[in-house]
Amino acid sequence: MNQNGHRLDYALHMENRRNFPRDELNRFIGKHIAFSFDGSRIVASGEDLRELEANLVAAGIDPSRVVFDYVDPPDLVIL
Amino acid sequence: MSLRFPYDLQQVPYPVVSLGGRWVRPRPIVPVLIAGTGVPILLYGRLDSAADDTIFSEHLAARIGVDLTEAPTGVATGVASGPVTVRYAQVTLCLFDQHQRYEWLGWVGFTAARLNRPLLGFAGCLQFFTTTFHGDLEVAELAVNRLYPGT
Repeated sequence: MNQNGHRLDYALHMENRRNFPRDELNRFIGKHIAFSFDGSRIVASGEDLRELEANLVAAGIDPSRVVFDYVDPPDLVIL
Repeated sequence: MSLRFPYDLQQVPYPVVSLGGRWVRPRPIVPVLIAGTGVPILLYGRLDSAADDTIFSEHLAARIGVDLTEAPTGVATGVASGPVTVRYAQVTLCLFDQHQRYEWLGWVGFTAARLNRPLLGFAGCLQFFTTTFHGDLEVAELAVNRLYPGT
């Protein structure tokens, strides 16, 4: 993936994403998060996408250089 | 060649009765790129073969340069949620894995309702693929079909 000159290494991202520490992820339950392109870090979070993006910008992080995700509450069944 | 996405194994704090006591929920969550005339956004979405449309949060529309002012509208409802308004626009979508990359122009809906993850449903997305959900392997496999309009 190469957008605006930014490259996402899919294999690396997914490997790091799958091995991401559960305890660390649990800190963000119910929140929208942004992963670094390599999937090794959560660089910002927010209650919704708007807040997440604002937090990214406030931290000087380009929103087009992260991968947005959401941390599902672990006890919820998704229909 | 097809795209292959191993399910995301999301841990749960109790054994799942309906899965024979497993401690994870396997979910077909995949990275998807959405682009309009502005800056593209990369995010995780859920493959949903029961969803009629492909739906994103309305907040993303302005971000990627999609003007919804004159957009056609519709009403959508989920299994456990009430009707919500959806505004439609054509965007560029891209699905990819480490081997393949598919990019196409498709109609998607945007909603102001809370949507934790985009739904990658039939219109705009799955209509262009033959999708196999390998329940045993917990892998979703997408192969482009003859309707695929992209590159």
